[in-house]
Amino acid sequence: MLSIKNLHALAGEKQVLHGLDLEVGAGEVHAIMGPNGSGKSTLAQVLAGREGYTVTEGSVTYNGKDLLALAPEERAREGVFLAFQYPVEIPGVNNVYLLKAGLNAIRKHRGESEMDAFEFLTLVREKMKLMQMDESFLNRGVNEGFSGGEKKRNEILQMAVLEPSLALLDETDSGLDIDALRVVANGVNSLRRPDRAIVMVTHYQRLLDYIEPDKVHVLSAGKIIKSGDKSLALELEKRGYDWVKQEAAA
Amino acid sequence: MSAVDAKSTAPPVERYKAAFEARWPGTDELTALRRAALDQFLSTGFPTQRDEAWKYTNLRRLETRSFTPAEASALDAHQPGWLTTGGTRIVLVNGHWLPALSSQTAQPPGVTVLTLKQWLQREPAAVATYLKDHDQLSGNALEQLNLAFFEDGVVVNLADNVIVDAPIYIVHESTSTAAGRMSHPRVIVTAGRNSRATIVEHYLGANEAEYFTNPVVRFQIAAGGAIKHFRVQQEAPRAFHLGHIQTRLAKDARYSIHDIQLGGSLGRTGITALLEGSGAHAALFGLLAPMGTQHLDAHTRLDHIAANTTSEEDYRGIAGGRGRGVFNGKVIVRPDAQKIDARQSSRNLLLSPTAEIDSKPELEIYANDVKCSHGATTGQLDATALFYLRSRGLSESDARAALIRAFAESILSTIDLEPVHAALERQIDERFKLANEAKA
Repeated sequence: MLSIKNLHALAGEKQVLHGLDLEVGAGEVHAIMGPNGSGKSTLAQVLAGREGYTVTEGSVTYNGKDLLALAPEERAREGVFLAFQYPVEIPGVNNVYLLKAGLNAIRKHRGESEMDAFEFLTLVREKMKLMQMDESFLNRGVNEGFSGGEKKRNEILQMAVLEPSLALLDETDSGLDIDALRVVANGVNSLRRPDRAIVMVTHYQRLLDYIEPDKVHVLSAGKIIKSGDKSLALELEKRGYDWVKQEAAA
Repeated sequence: MSAVDAKSTAPPVERYKAAFEARWPGTDELTALRRAALDQFLSTGFPTQRDEAWKYTNLRRLETRSFTPAEASALDAHQPGWLTTGGTRIVLVNGHWLPALSSQTAQPPGVTVLTLKQWLQREPAAVATYLKDHDQLSGNALEQLNLAFFEDGVVVNLADNVIVDAPIYIVHESTSTAAGRMSHPRVIVTAGRNSRATIVEHYLGANEAEYFTNPVVRFQIAAGGAIKHFRVQQEAPRAFHLGHIQTRLAKDARYSIHDIQLGGSLGRTGITALLEGSGAHAALFGLLAPMGTQHLDAHTRLDHIAANTTSEEDYRGIAGGRGRGVFNGKVIVRPDAQKIDARQSSRNLLLSPTAEIDSKPELEIYANDVKCSHGATTGQLDATALFYLRSRGLSESDARAALIRAFAESILSTIDLEPVHAALERQIDERFKLANEAKA
């Protein structure tokens, strides 16, 4: 589904990714771990198409298409979803407007008709229940005055409504207490499907207790230096990152 | 310089003298009053950018044109741009009353709605006295020009304790297809003690010609009275619109205005609120959206004459293309006017590198026990928010339109008259979707 080859990228002026390779198949859940500054968030932003991040070398192929050639909204319509580390507050734009406009843009792209108001609300209510969110959130501004936990839940709610085929979760566990983490993880797990891939970028192993990955990668200095199964995450939690770096250098 | 200008040899304002003699040759009391006003206008001339109040708005282009009074004209039907407000509707076309499309709903006792001409016919002496009292003193050259040339207008009188629920809707439609027509409508609202009413003023034009609208609007609100004023300026693309609003508030009187400026080539609203009685409150909300090469200006003056008076002011500007916006908000606190609370905010959004908005708060405070605050910001669309919306599948133009609407919404959401609110939301959406498409 997603094939990243030799990716080099700048964040602003700074070279952050130095030849990253990653293959993600349909139905798989990958965790990318690494110390601060290793390039985890840059990878997520590059994949979503954020301005200010420049690819200088390498390629990203998504379902056979050159992902890097697509505008952010085209990526979204092709089924790429980024759950932001810091979801943006947009007073004056309703949550319900965003969900509806996003969903309809994606459906239109797929050649499907727009959802009618009743179908849409039924869908959104069901997903809000899953995320244990009160319906009053719908008519508030996007993330406006939401707590950190509410913002993260709202990200997963959007993901549940938009039903992407590739979900990128950027530090989704940061700032969550244990109850919120459970709700968020629950939401993500409910979206696991054979035709959907999930890539989680995270600093801590904690999230992986709730969302069990098929593969774990260690990102260091802009490259993946080690890959393994979920036991690698446990080992990292115990021993830190230094031994992996030494092993890679050897 | 166009060919028309090159032919004129007389100083620009002298053309108004010729137009006046042709239109008002009489010698009666009102005509004498008009002539005195004209003379004042001629001796003062149009304001220039040397006047502090006109620093950012240049009237040279207006000044070089020749204007003659616009003629009355019929319209077949209710125009698509008009609002459906459900109450009394008074239609002025080119500054002349059009009875065929006006409709009076039954008013509660104590409410009088007349055209200015009707009032003149009934009580010429009273009108002359009124105009003398209020306007010969004003000193604003453009208001003098209105007094010299006004044809008609609307007069609303509310007796004490009268409450009018349905809004009074005043349509000013311009239809002149010939270039160089001017109209000077006048709206006079006198609200008795504890009376309440809503006045909607709507300026529209669907023509291609260049014209000049120079309305004067006067409110006098007695103790405990409350007037809500909505003013939507959607003149045709080549219009000049200079509006002059003055409100006098007695004890515990309340006045609010929504000053919405969308149309015209050059538009300006001058609003003066005189807080003359303790407990009076004035609230000024505005939205200016100059696009293309439009120039839109709001010039407000809140004069806290009495102690214990309050005011709030919230203006937003959205400028695109080479549009130019001006906000000048003056707050005056007179000596001995203690316990004043005045808040002012001006926030602006620039959609293109060639758009400009000048925001100028001015505080003149001569008392010491006052609370005055003001804040002004000017910025661009938030790139992070734009990316966030696009990452959810919205096109760039939809994402921009959503953010622009959100910015405008802080003013629109304070409009508690649904037909006005809904029409403006549509206007803003349409305007900025069009602007985005033009940009793409």
